[in-house]
Amino acid sequence: MRHGFRMSVGADPDGVGKVSAAFAGFAQTHALPEAVRRSVNVTLDELLTNAISHGTAAVDASLLTVEVELDLERLTVTLTNDGSPFDPFGQPAPDTTLSVDDRPIGGLGIHIVRELMDEVSYERRDGHNVVVLVKQLVE
Amino acid sequence: MEISTRASNDIRIVVIAGNLDSTTSPAAQKALDAVLAGAKKVALDFAQLDYISSAGLRVLLGAAKQQRASGGTLRIFGLNQSVREVFEISGFSSILAVYPSEADALGAM
Repeated sequence: MRHGFRMSVGADPDGVGKVSAAFAGFAQTHALPEAVRRSVNVTLDELLTNAISHGTAAVDASLLTVEVELDLERLTVTLTNDGSPFDPFGQPAPDTTLSVDDRPIGGLGIHIVRELMDEVSYERRDGHNVVVLVKQLVE
Repeated sequence: MEISTRASNDIRIVVIAGNLDSTTSPAAQKALDAVLAGAKKVALDFAQLDYISSAGLRVLLGAAKQQRASGGTLRIFGLNQSVREVFEISGFSSILAVYPSEADALGAM
């Protein structure tokens, strides 16, 4: 049995909020484990805000598409945007051992995603950035 | 997200309920700034915090720096498993003062 949903939103903070709320609703409907729901909500927030503005690069994506597929063993989330090529996982991991005063603001989001998800991947496909994330439902 | 505050002696306790993410962080930042401006001893009650993303961590880091600069204290308690996990992944458990319970957090302030 497979369930899922697909939605497209504008590449802006309002769009990110809509996806977050939609996923929370989906998680509730399908009684996803709390830890899975929270991990995916955090991941969506990190990657969608990243697609809106990835550091120094220009903000050029106009549409964010999210596709969620749930089967008995795993949750698969595919994020697609029409921005210029950008691999979020191509950046070095931040130094998480620095003190409060030395810690730069930011740079942590992708590191968190890598740790929370079981599989992450990126590809440039048909002029779009495509990120696929997998979270196992059973450890 | 909902933010409320209460007081215990000279300690201001800020209760953050719901999510601390890119959508809610600006409001959380504003509310926290207002509290930090008027209180030296501040504790954040996360018992009703569902999840936190790096946008929320950014707000906490800013608050911690601000308190350190002004000679105040900032303590956090009541983290659920998911929030704790994000704290650990990001190294925040070692740079912020995290306590298991309210009694522990307020005890030595």
